[in-house]
Amino acid sequence: MLYVSLFLSFVKVGFLGFGGGMAIISLIQEEVLAHGWMSETEFVDIVAVSQMTPGPVGMNCATYVGYTATGTVFGSLLASFAVILPSLIVMLTVCAVYDRLSRRWSENRIYKAVMRLVRIAVVFLVAHAAWTLVTPATFIDRWSILIFSLALLCMLLPDMFRLAGQPRMASHPVTRLLSHPVFLMAAAALSGSLLYG
Amino acid sequence: MLPLIQREVVDRQHWIDEQEFLNMIALAQAAPGLIAVNSAIFIGHRLAGWRGVVATVLGAVLPSVVVILLIAVFFTRFKQMPAVEAVFKGLRPAVVALIAAAVVKMLKNV
Repeated sequence: MLYVSLFLSFVKVGFLGFGGGMAIISLIQEEVLAHGWMSETEFVDIVAVSQMTPGPVGMNCATYVGYTATGTVFGSLLASFAVILPSLIVMLTVCAVYDRLSRRWSENRIYKAVMRLVRIAVVFLVAHAAWTLVTPATFIDRWSILIFSLALLCMLLPDMFRLAGQPRMASHPVTRLLSHPVFLMAAAALSGSLLYG
Repeated sequence: MLPLIQREVVDRQHWIDEQEFLNMIALAQAAPGLIAVNSAIFIGHRLAGWRGVVATVLGAVLPSVVVILLIAVFFTRFKQMPAVEAVFKGLRPAVVALIAAAVVKMLKNV
């Protein structure tokens, strides 16, 4: 029964996963917490490891959650397969009609309106997921708030430079390093080790 | 991820050209699921039909699955160690920041 609901949950994540890695992470989070497969903290730890491991972060997260939820290698392979199954169905259909597809299909008015609605929905979904993760277990003291604020600032640095009309600063190597997720994860890990170790 | 795919399939292997790469990205983003996996399906299908899809999808997914499985199986034993717990105490607020940053970035593109 656990395997059936795991499979169905990840097929659902695969089908609704519009908008890249973070959207997928948020969808997985909703499923994980709704089924009570693990706590918020355990899930956050999985996301941290998924970020630092090579490969698509959504895939890493699916594999890891599949293992943790079931405690078996089969569970993790099942979740990994389930999350790419919708991709296979949709992309193979798209590929089959690709040559007959209008070159300007993405300029279609209805298509653009629908995608806009999808993007708005995804923003709310990810925002809700982020908010759910703000708990006394993830934010244990004032240092947590400092780490959160600095990481958020660094992540948004390139966008802020661009908005401020400073494209050269936005693509500066230092800015790129500071806003790289793996660098930020490593810095946060080091901070944790120094502060609490 | 996308620059990596571009360098490999367009610049080095010449499997698809620049224009087709852009079409592929548009499709991979419009379809649900992981963009890297969607791109892999597109390229595999273009090159060698369903056999190509099997090859490219396995290539895109296997490293993730193997590395994560190794971490998941062995790492669980170290998680109780105080030093590891200290590292995660630092990581958790940063993970929330990554997700929050994704919200802000997406708001700009809505």
